[in-house]
Amino acid sequence: MATRRGFLASLLACASLPALGWADAGSPAVLACAGDPDGGYSLHGLREDSTAAFRLPLPARGHAGCGHPTEALAVAFARRPGTYALVLDCARGTVRHRLSPPEGRHFNGHGTFLAEGAVLATSEQAVDTSEGFMGLWDATDGFRRLGEVPTGGLGPHDLKRLDSGLVIVANGGIATDPTDRTRLNLATMRPNLAVLDPLNGGAPEVTELTPDLHQLSIRHLSLRDDGTLAFAMQWEGEPETLVPLLGLRDPHGTVTLAEAPEPEARLMQGYAGSIAWSGDGTEVAITSPKGGRVQRFDAGGSFLGHVARPEVCGIAPLGRGFLLSDGLGGLLSVEDGIPAPLGRAELAWDNHLVRL
Amino acid sequence: MRLALVLALLATPALAGVEEVTQQHLRPGVAAFAEATEALAQAARADCTAEALRPAYDAAWTAWSPIADLRLGPTEPAALTIAYWPDQRGAGAKALRGLLASDAPALRDPAAFAEVSAAARGFPALDRLLGDPELSGYGTNSPTCTLVQTVTADMAAQGAALAEGWQAEAEALASAGEAGNARYLTEDEAFRALYTQILSALEFTADTRLGRPLGEPGRPRPTRAEFWRTGRPLPNALASAEAAVAVAQLLAEIPLPLTEAALDQVRHAAAAIDDPTFQNIEDPTARLKLEILQQRVRALLDIVEAEVGAPRGLQPGFNSRDGD
Repeated sequence: MATRRGFLASLLACASLPALGWADAGSPAVLACAGDPDGGYSLHGLREDSTAAFRLPLPARGHAGCGHPTEALAVAFARRPGTYALVLDCARGTVRHRLSPPEGRHFNGHGTFLAEGAVLATSEQAVDTSEGFMGLWDATDGFRRLGEVPTGGLGPHDLKRLDSGLVIVANGGIATDPTDRTRLNLATMRPNLAVLDPLNGGAPEVTELTPDLHQLSIRHLSLRDDGTLAFAMQWEGEPETLVPLLGLRDPHGTVTLAEAPEPEARLMQGYAGSIAWSGDGTEVAITSPKGGRVQRFDAGGSFLGHVARPEVCGIAPLGRGFLLSDGLGGLLSVEDGIPAPLGRAELAWDNHLVRL
Repeated sequence: MRLALVLALLATPALAGVEEVTQQHLRPGVAAFAEATEALAQAARADCTAEALRPAYDAAWTAWSPIADLRLGPTEPAALTIAYWPDQRGAGAKALRGLLASDAPALRDPAAFAEVSAAARGFPALDRLLGDPELSGYGTNSPTCTLVQTVTADMAAQGAALAEGWQAEAEALASAGEAGNARYLTEDEAFRALYTQILSALEFTADTRLGRPLGEPGRPRPTRAEFWRTGRPLPNALASAEAAVAVAQLLAEIPLPLTEAALDQVRHAAAAIDDPTFQNIEDPTARLKLEILQQRVRALLDIVEAEVGAPRGLQPGFNSRDGD
């Protein structure tokens, strides 16, 4: 097996080529990182019917990152510590750029393209304080660093571009030790949702949950076409306490929290790892690999039902419903709460499915 | 390609072992629990007093223990509403006292009672009502008597629902890997699901059933033992290990001499314990005996991993043990 350095050197050799679109990469609908049976890692493009559009080797375990809106470019973040990200040309199967965060920063595993793909935004934190930043990179000029905007919280995780051009960030609120990821501030953590203006800067507009939920880390986001944001959370407090793991923020900024009834609620083990709106936008679902469970809710936050599946985590819209991926290599569709197997590969899907 | 090789070897035996566990352990297990809880509810209707009910209560435990830690499909939520533990904040006791002080429909209506906190239902409720001297002296025409009858009727309803709900899971296990099975996409997934439950059961017994009362070094916590008021700590810990090995033997379909020897060590360590409620562990010798039992359960876990899991290349989860 090639060394990481050799791998990068060979692939970086072929940069500066004309842009190719997603059709040239086999027309994938979603991106997913995976662990391979031989211990390696890879990035996959999956078509609407869950067949493979492409597969690219990665030098280390990747976190799904994001895809360019038009060009066949995917950004995969090194999982942790987030010391680099790769911009992969999914049509040619090459690494186009290797991004390193500025000194004293780590990538936090998520990013999104802004300005019709001209700018890449990455969630980052200061290594020493965990203070959050959104890094901005010029996708039209070799992914040159353009600047950054404070996210208004600690440990930012997922981020989404709103139609207004503003960006909403999930500040998880957790300060971590730079070397071993130990959580340092569970007693005092204060997660929030922050709306940032990437162009004009200024103070982020921040929404916090009520003080009794200050240990509920907001981590992953899914945006519906009408601007309703769904957010998935992870409970860092006393394990027996039942808390909502799903939040909905309407386009006016009003937040509704949603939870399943007991005992169903307990089976998620206080952890939602991914979130997605259904294809028709009538349902939203959260996944828990710890509980081996997917919970579905309607758009008002009422619990609809569950799907049990070991190691399930990745979720994206598919058809009217959802596509699920899991650590056993399974891909399933869910429509009207009914799961159906789509395939199983000898690999372990990573936490997220990223819809292109 | 160790994984590929391992999966090829698994192809047939996996499902045969899964079938054995389903037919010989789980199916009779849920049926026996349904019967035992129905008998418990009948006994409570005939004579609700704590003393009269204890044999039927213990029989319900004997039926529950073999399936208690096999949390698949309907037994996942049932494990919470039948045997919620540990209840670190005493939510169950609080809810029960609230019910007894009220005239709420949940006091006498099992359907309304099914809406109360999981910590106040099933065995945890009976451990308090039958085993707490402040509560257990109730007479036959008391609110506590009514509540005991309601709790046991709810358990019987849960037992019946579990036996019925289990059919779908049994069918999913039996048809693992067949087209359209969204629960188990391959045969080895069904094997893996059962194997994971064996490990979780032993881990829970070592770390929680035995670890909680052991407390911190120099500070035992006897009242943190599992349902200690009704004498369950030692029987439950031992039954958990026995059930784990019984399932492992059916699942593996090969002789497991090391696992059986490790289980014998667990039995010996359990037999040396004088007080099955663990309430004597302030005494250093008693504590040591409990620590030895915990070590033996941990050793059993390691051996099951080596003898059942390792030959099949089974490894811990990719996502479930790696938060993000």
